[in-house]
Amino acid sequence: MAQLQLKGIRKTYGNAVQETLKGIDINIESGEFLILVGPSGCGKSTLMNSIAGLETVTEGSILIDGRDVTHAEPKDRDIAMVFQSYALYPTMTVRENIAFGLKIRRMPKEEIDAEVARVAKLLQIEPLLDRKPSQLSGGQQQRVAMGRALARRPKLYLFDEPLSNLDAKLRVEMRTEIKRLHQRLGTTIVYVTHDQIEAMTLADRIAVIKDGELLQLGSPKEIYERPSCRYVASFIGSPAMSFIPLKVERDGGNLRASLRSADDDQMYVPLPEKLAAYEGKEIHLGIRPEHITQPLAHKAGQEATSSGKFRIEVTEPTGPDVMALIRINDTEVHCRLDPDHTVDPGEPAELMIDLSRAIYFEAGKEARIDV
Amino acid sequence: MASHAEKKLTPSRILIYATLLLACVAYLIPVFIMIITSFKTTGDIRSGNLMSFPEVWSVDAWIKAWSSACTGVQCNGVSGFFWNSIKMAVPAVLISTALGAINGYVLAKWRFRGSDIFFSLLLFGCFLPFQVILLPMAATLGKMGLANTTTGLVIVHVVYGVAFTTLFFRNFYVGVPDALIKAARLDGAGFVTIFVRILLPMSVPIIMVCIIWQFTQIWNDFLFGVVFASGDSQPITVGLNNLVNTSTGVKEYNVDMAAAMIAALPTLVVYVLAGKYFIRGLTSGAVKG
Repeated sequence: MAQLQLKGIRKTYGNAVQETLKGIDINIESGEFLILVGPSGCGKSTLMNSIAGLETVTEGSILIDGRDVTHAEPKDRDIAMVFQSYALYPTMTVRENIAFGLKIRRMPKEEIDAEVARVAKLLQIEPLLDRKPSQLSGGQQQRVAMGRALARRPKLYLFDEPLSNLDAKLRVEMRTEIKRLHQRLGTTIVYVTHDQIEAMTLADRIAVIKDGELLQLGSPKEIYERPSCRYVASFIGSPAMSFIPLKVERDGGNLRASLRSADDDQMYVPLPEKLAAYEGKEIHLGIRPEHITQPLAHKAGQEATSSGKFRIEVTEPTGPDVMALIRINDTEVHCRLDPDHTVDPGEPAELMIDLSRAIYFEAGKEARIDV
Repeated sequence: MASHAEKKLTPSRILIYATLLLACVAYLIPVFIMIITSFKTTGDIRSGNLMSFPEVWSVDAWIKAWSSACTGVQCNGVSGFFWNSIKMAVPAVLISTALGAINGYVLAKWRFRGSDIFFSLLLFGCFLPFQVILLPMAATLGKMGLANTTTGLVIVHVVYGVAFTTLFFRNFYVGVPDALIKAARLDGAGFVTIFVRILLPMSVPIIMVCIIWQFTQIWNDFLFGVVFASGDSQPITVGLNNLVNTSTGVKEYNVDMAAAMIAALPTLVVYVLAGKYFIRGLTSGAVKG
């Protein structure tokens, strides 16, 4: 397993005016599972291809285990890649697909056979070895593609949106499988996805990329709880974080803000003292659905919690939760309720707001206010 | 499927079938007349009806056309020309197909600066009329010392055919996902290995398209054959022309027909052998595998 260092990676295509990658710096530890996540066209696939050596970088360097491979050929980087389309060789059987890279590297035949057998056992594709890719289902093709990557025991694995062609159920299964494989083999993995749930569930660390820039690099927990900017905050989490405009006021010794429901009921929430600089100004409060709930006995009376009546506009039962839409300060806000706590759409309900995990943004600015 | 077969015969269906049938007959009647005439004796032709079957089925005309009919001053039939055509067409087809495959591979998967312009210029080759290149090509072949040789004819056909075969292969390979090439590169395969081990095995349909197309073009070509070859290197189309135009006494229609059939058979054979790939190859761009 290997360490991967990306230093100031910049990439501009041909005559393009816009840079595709605007200086990416990431250090990936040996055995780490790093996920590159971002919207389509953010440059994450370009970064992936650059790591693989399939595209050249305009500036910066790529080091694998300290060795500079910026200008090395793909085959000399000792990297394997799993593609979104699987990219299995259609005229070869599964066995030949897995063995192809080994044959090219002139591994002795017995060793190839042993390696194919090992990988097939690992991924439970032994009965498929003599079939052609066209005779396999999507999930089976996915396994074979992973098998082909595993066979060479490369230093680094790249996964380019490997699950996005699978149906929902299979995707969850394969996700677990990939995680299990990673735990078992302790491989270094760089994984590209645009699915934030995949990112949260699989990653040791997540790199959120937008417009060729690295917005935040951190553990899933950090990314979820302390997003560096408004974009990361809204990209990770489903339903997305709500942003409520409010005015910072001082009442006696404490900072507070008023929240107004659709029925013009007012309630006040306490704000942290660090927002003192914004007194009298409008800021945005970022709050995730799970922090607006039905009144919870164990949270009642805590400093950051407050309660108020809000009219429920829409409810969306998901099974474990009911997502409800309310309106605070003329902004739509998602909240997450217990399905046993019955609320009626169109009727007001008593809700508890927990601001202990809330984050704040200056109005009209991207960056988070540090509190 | 059963419900398809039981479709009612509506007036519009009858019209469609009638039109198709008419087209079939229009195409097949000349072939039919050629075949029955070639098996008639000269007497039979003179006395009988054009459409009637031979009174006696005879292969004499075929034998004469093959080995002893006069084509100008010589009277050795068209067999010599036939083998000339084989010697010209087989290498020309194989070489132009191979070159087209390599060109198409590079143009589709290893784009280089200006490759699009290169491809557009190459496409001009598909639209150049034969007549335009006659004089310059004659001069070139003369300078190369290949005038009036089968090798020269092969070169002409390869040069002319490469534009088409490149177009076929390039369009076929554009449909092959780039991820396949990337995967192979990561597996350690180079330019040649990717082509030989990954792409060529997938290319059977388009190879068949090229072979049928090129063989038909080259085999049926008359102009290049008559201009760039002479005497013992002339292809069958020229031989057939000479045979039909050589008038020694009575016109032997049965021999003419037999010779024409001999000249046409190889393209038919190629089509029958490779035809199922032809349709598949032509439509493969439309249907993603």
